[in-house]
Formats: sequence, C-alpha cells, structure tokens
Amino acid sequence: MAENSTTGFSKTLLTGVMVILALLVLFGLQPSALAGELPTRQKVPDITDTSRPYGPGDLSDMWRGIRMGEPSSVTRPGKDGDVLIQSEGGQWQARRGALIIKYGSMVLIAIIAVIALYFMLFGRIRIKGGRSGLVIPRFTLIQRVVHWSVALLIVMLSLSGLILLVGRDSLIPVMGREGFSIVASAAMEGHNLFGPLLIPALIAMFVTFVRGNGYRLIDIKWLFKGGGFLGGHASSYKYNFGEKTWFWWAMVLGLVVCASGVAMLFPEITPGRRFLQFANLAHAAAAIGIIAFAIGHIYLGTIGMEGALEGMTKGTVDKNWAKEHHDLWHDEHVQAATTDTAGAEVAAAAHGDVLPEGAGE
Amino acid sequence: MTMQQFIEGPLWTFAATVFLVGVAWRIVAIMMIGKPKDLTVAKSSSMAGAAKSIALHSVPHGGNLSRTIYHVISGYAFHLGLFALLFLAAPHVTFISERIVTVPWPAMPRWAFIIAAEAAFAGLILLYLRRLTDPIMRQLSDWDDHVGTWLTFLAMLTGCLALQESHIGLRLFHMVTVQVWMIYFPFSRLMHAFTFAMARKHTGATYGRRGFTP
Repeated sequence: MAENSTTGFSKTLLTGVMVILALLVLFGLQPSALAGELPTRQKVPDITDTSRPYGPGDLSDMWRGIRMGEPSSVTRPGKDGDVLIQSEGGQWQARRGALIIKYGSMVLIAIIAVIALYFMLFGRIRIKGGRSGLVIPRFTLIQRVVHWSVALLIVMLSLSGLILLVGRDSLIPVMGREGFSIVASAAMEGHNLFGPLLIPALIAMFVTFVRGNGYRLIDIKWLFKGGGFLGGHASSYKYNFGEKTWFWWAMVLGLVVCASGVAMLFPEITPGRRFLQFANLAHAAAAIGIIAFAIGHIYLGTIGMEGALEGMTKGTVDKNWAKEHHDLWHDEHVQAATTDTAGAEVAAAAHGDVLPEGAGE
Repeated sequence: MTMQQFIEGPLWTFAATVFLVGVAWRIVAIMMIGKPKDLTVAKSSSMAGAAKSIALHSVPHGGNLSRTIYHVISGYAFHLGLFALLFLAAPHVTFISERIVTVPWPAMPRWAFIIAAEAAFAGLILLYLRRLTDPIMRQLSDWDDHVGTWLTFLAMLTGCLALQESHIGLRLFHMVTVQVWMIYFPFSRLMHAFTFAMARKHTGATYGRRGFTP
C-alpha cells in the first residue's frame, strides 16, 4: 500500500514537473518571447495624482511606461506612431550584431578559407581522361540567360548587402566615415534598385531548372560517397545531389530574401516596426545562407573544376567531363556527342539536352 | 579649378559639343551619301514601303514570334525605361531645365522612376546576356557592341547609385560616366538611336518600290 502510495506520489510529482517544464518550454517558445517583447506593459500614470510615492510630478512611472512601449496620445496616430521608445529595437540591434554579423561573418570567412586551403592542397579538379574533342549539348539559351541573370543579381546584391551589413565594422577603419558614408549610400540605392529584379529572376530560374532537380534514390548514394570525395565514383543524372540542394536552397532562401526584402521596401504594407525588425534579421540570415552556398558554387563552376563553366557559357560540355561527373546523364545523351562544336552550340541554344527525334535508334 | 568645377564646366561643355557635332556630322554624312537613280518601273509606292517597314519592324511580324519575342520585350523594356529615366527623372528634369533649356516639364513620381529603372536594367541585362550566350549573336558582336553596352550600363548604374543625392562625389561620378558615354556615342553603334528610322526607311523604300514588304 505504502509502495503504491509512493509510486502514485512519484507519478504525480513527475507529471507536475513535466507539465511545468512543458509550460516553460511553451512560454519560452512563444513568438513574443522569441522576438524579445518585454514581459509587461504599464499604463502611463496620472502624474497629477497626489498619492504617488514621490508626490505630484513624479515622472518615474511615466518613463517606465514609455520604456515599456506604452502607447501615448499623439496628434497623428498611425502604425507605431504613438510609441515614443520601442525597446525591442535595442534587442533587434543586439541580435543583428551578436548573431547575424558575428556568426555570418565567421561562416563566410570559414567557407572561403576551406575552399582556399583545398585549392592550395589539391588544385583544380581536372578531367581525368582529358578533353575528348566531343561535346554534348546541355543547356538551352534561355536556361543560360536565366542562370546568368540570377548570378549577376546575386553578386551585385551580395556585395551591396554585405557593405550595408558589415561595412560599418570592416570598411570605416579602411576608408573613414565620410568614405564609407558615400559607399553605403550608393550600396543602399543599388541594393534597393536591383533587389526587386531578383523576384522575376528566381521565378524564371524555378521554371527553367526545376525539371531534373527532384531528389532521387541515386542522390543518397552520391551523398554517402561525398560526391566522389570519399572514394569511389558517385553517379548522377543531369544534376547531382549538391546541385539539386543548391537549387532548392536558393529557391527557399530566395523566397525568404524576396519576401522580407519586399516588406522592407514597402513598410507601409507590414503590421509594424517589430515585423520589419524580424524581416531584417530573416533577410540577412537567408542572404548569408545564399552567399555561403554561392561561394562554393562559383568556385566549382570556375577555377575549381575543369570543363564546368562552358556548360553555362556555350551550352555544351565535353563528353569526358559528362562521363566523369554525370555518368547516367552521359549514358542517356552520348549519342548526341559530336566534334561539331559550333553546331552543338546552336543545337544546345535551341533544345538544350533534348535529343532530336530518332536519335539513338 | 576643383574637380567638381572641371567636371561640371569644361568637361561637360566638351562632351556636349562632341556629342552634338558628332551626331550632326554622322547624320549629314549619311544623308549626303545619296543613292543611284532607280530606272526601273515602280511596282508600288516607295513611301508606303518605307512607312510599312518602319511600322512592321517595330513589332513582331512575319510569323516568327517565338524567335523575336525575347528581344522585342527586352528591347522595349530597356529603351522605354531609358527614355523615361533620361527625360523624366526628377534630377534630370532639374538639370536640363537649369543648364540646357529653360522650360521645365513635370518629372515622374518616384514610383514611376523605380519602375522605369527596373525595366531599363532588366532589359539591358537580358539583351546583353543574349549577346554573350547566343552562338549566332556572339559571332555577330564586336568590341563596339560590348563597349557601348558597358558604357550605357555604367551611366545608368552610377545614376541610380547617386539617387539619394546626398553626396556630390556620387553625382560627379555619374556625370563623368555620362560624359564618356556622350563622347563615345557619335563614333559607335549607339548612333542607332538616331539612325534606326533612316535605315528602316531606306530599306522599306527600296523594297517597297519593287513590290516587297521587307
């Protein structure tokens, strides 16, 4: 009996602790807590009240209310227009500096360092069999135009965005306050101008590249082999696991960047300042995510791998490059391999890697 | 003389002079070339052929819409956007009315400026990417096409970077890029801004007289 009672008490205690923990977790994960809202808001007191602790004219409660974001009476009421001090702004500023700028910079520097170290140790990834002299059509003209449009915009927006994000800390010591003021002004105008173009560009990229970017079973094998870096050949169709992940990474984070960017460009359509502060943090975090992946993509697409860039400049790739990096796609399209590089470029521009009717029969 | 005084004074005068004299010289030179008298019996009106040519070459025609729609849309986006930026942007209206003609005209609002700028940049980027990636266009292009495109892009870009009008340095940078563009203009294919109608008229009149619509 006593044992049962003890067990029941233990269960009750455990349940109580679990409930309290659950409440704490729930309370802790509330959006308001995440966004840093201050716990309570107080009414602005009547300072003429004679019963106040320090008599009439005691303003401490009034300032406390203002500090807590208590709305006041204003002649022109509007969105956040009646809040004298938005204390959450300080927390937004702290998070932007302590999280986004600090860790974002560390991530980008680390990626550049790893890539530079890899390049110094192993050099460029060559086509093992050398160039075959045969090329295979791969990308259409529209796909290449869309790719370079997005690439150009991402480079310009990244540079201008990074100037705005970390320039205060990194550029002022180099060019002084006046110099940075000019650069920042230009970067902001350029960023705001080119930013909206990223929306149609990303939509076009989704439409033109989504085919073939769905994950397949073979991608898991590619992943376990580390794309060939961990030993053994990693097979893939037109796009490998890394390229597919880059595509979806850019799409999802691009959506975040575009949505938050639109909110900041048109603040009048947003609920208020707290939303904008959240949008600003999301914009910067997502942009750093895109830039981090883009650095690796640009490296592999240019100096990192022989034969990769021409797929996006000419629309064709060398047969041996295709066999080495996209063997399953190569096997499907090997009958299109030709020594007529100019003809293959024209064919690629019009039809990409779609084989002409009757090919391979 | 400060750099600002030089850019806004002698350099501006020099660039404007080269632009105006150069453009006039090119147009007069083209008109003075003339053409040999056509002794054949006209099958149709040459003037009607010229008018048809100018109109038809401004829209997709001839059943090849899928081949032309790309550069028609991007071409109109760029040229209309650039025209609006050039003549209706508020800083330009102020500049032109203060420095060139004394009659002011209304500037477009900021939202229209943004749309015009987005259209102009998108159009120019799309046209240039096609020039770089299309195997046929790449063969047809030479250094003049690339220099003309880049100078135009830089002039537009520096103008937009100076939009806040908070730093004289940015405005002077824009003025310098525009002045380089103006000096280069008469000696390049940028002249098509003035000669495109003449070329279409000539082709249309020649073939129109023979009963064709090119």
